[in-house]
Amino acid sequence: MDEMTLNVSTAAVQVDGLSRRYGAIRALDEVDIKLDRGITGLLGPNGAGKTTLLSILATVNEPDSGRVSVLGLDPRDAAERLEIRRCLGYLPQELRYHRHFTVAGFLDYVAILKEIIDRRQRAEEVARVLAAVGLERRARTRIRALSGGMRQRLGIAQALLGQPQLLILDEPTAGLDPEQRLRFRELLSDLPGDPVIVLSTHQADDIAAICPTVVVLLQGRVRFAGTPAELAATARGRVWAADGRNPDAHLSWRGGDGRWRHIGDQPPAGAELVVPTVEDGYLLASHAAGAR
Amino acid sequence: MTNRDPEPVGPVAWVDGHASDGMLASYAAGTVETIEVWSVEAHLTGCGRCRSAVSAHVDAARLARNRSVLLSRAALGDGGRVRRLLCRCGLPDYLLDLVAATPSLRVSWLLSVVGVLAVVAGEAAAVRYHLIGGGYPVAAGYWPAGALAPFLLVGPLLVLAGVAAAFLPMFDPAYQLTVAAPFSSVKLLLVRTIAALTAALVPVVIGAFVVPGPGWLPVALLVPSLALCTFALAAATVVDARAAAVIAGTLWALPALLLAANHVPLRIVQPSAQLACAAVLLASAVVLYLRHDRFELGWMR
Repeated sequence: MDEMTLNVSTAAVQVDGLSRRYGAIRALDEVDIKLDRGITGLLGPNGAGKTTLLSILATVNEPDSGRVSVLGLDPRDAAERLEIRRCLGYLPQELRYHRHFTVAGFLDYVAILKEIIDRRQRAEEVARVLAAVGLERRARTRIRALSGGMRQRLGIAQALLGQPQLLILDEPTAGLDPEQRLRFRELLSDLPGDPVIVLSTHQADDIAAICPTVVVLLQGRVRFAGTPAELAATARGRVWAADGRNPDAHLSWRGGDGRWRHIGDQPPAGAELVVPTVEDGYLLASHAAGAR
Repeated sequence: MTNRDPEPVGPVAWVDGHASDGMLASYAAGTVETIEVWSVEAHLTGCGRCRSAVSAHVDAARLARNRSVLLSRAALGDGGRVRRLLCRCGLPDYLLDLVAATPSLRVSWLLSVVGVLAVVAGEAAAVRYHLIGGGYPVAAGYWPAGALAPFLLVGPLLVLAGVAAAFLPMFDPAYQLTVAAPFSSVKLLLVRTIAALTAALVPVVIGAFVVPGPGWLPVALLVPSLALCTFALAAATVVDARAAAVIAGTLWALPALLLAANHVPLRIVQPSAQLACAAVLLASAVVLYLRHDRFELGWMR
């Protein structure tokens, strides 16, 4: 950071006209996003382009076209890409591990890759992130002996090494139990230094709980960008609860209370209008995209 | 509790042979002088009352932090005698940690050991049951020259495979993290390659001593092995890394098979071939030097 000061006067992350294809599949199609510091949630179904977008922001994937600016730096330029990587904590969607590693050994290895050269400093950093994800008692355990949830926490821990200014987390809550998800939300909310955090998830309640900004990505295109409250508000007046199923509704499902929840333009008979949630807004956007 | 930089405070008190509450609080906060720390700690080892009293003053968060650091240091260990020895020789300790943490080195070593053992055992069996023959006798005179052909073909290929295992993304499960990290890819590649080369070369050279070839055979395998690996690395700056390894392997296998078919397998390591390999090694090293930035700061491949 000596010669290249971070330009954070504009958006922390800016994406203009970003496209990426894999053969015939268009993973991202002219995506425009502008993100400020804080936590942004990326919501979308499988195949929506979330992982591709995050891997491009994490500088491991190259876009076909479009422009990306991360912390004021351009990843197309090798020197600026290095600076981005120095600020980056990245959790890929399917992080695979060297299974013979111990938990601490793996983190030590990643710490070296993150240029934490001093052995003592590495040990302290490893201890810090292990404590942050509640794995300090597992420091000597081999990764192959960890449960899926513990491996996910280890993945989060490696992303936190070096206190990154930019944290890109692809499906960080996958495999976590409800208590661990709560702890994860607290962890992100308490991170010092106001880092830029972009996370993808299928869990609308994660978004509602911790993300001031949400972006809905569907079929490689941005269908919504705003606050969770604004996303929920898109479904205002279109969500009803009823005792029976409504075949005319766009979407219907039975809730835990045994009542049917409907999203549609017309209320079913005997239905009552309910306050929409983030999930309702997301489902409505998803339905609208599918209808196009 | 002695790992701190205490700032001296006023006089600390001992009351009836026990540390005063104020003293224990200062001790827990790390604000007593070193000499007093020793006194307090000597006293605490034998006094349950003061041990109980001091725990009330201890910063729980700091204690948890220290405990966590101790646990992770214990888990990481000191790397053993070899590591300490290499550190004394001037090698940076983080590079040794990096080599030790490179999982594919096990693949390189295993591949080489198993491959050499299989070839040597196969050759011995083939000679014993008269499955191999022809050609002129080797210097030792016991085995026909044809028996050497499999070893000459496979030896350098095993070294190449070992090195390929160290740099091919398919053998690095955490490859995405490696790409997204700022650590120099070239440095990482070279460290891994040198380590893998050493790991794979040792069994091949030992194997060369065991097979009944000329006495110079172990040395004669070094240049071709190095040339193949360097060529593969240089080619990987132009084509996909996997394709580069396959091309390098083919460039060795074709002449080796051809010479074996003509009952002159040893020519693949004789002076003219050594010169050719040295030329390839030199040219590849130059290409690698000129194009090393292709490995640096790349995208995922």
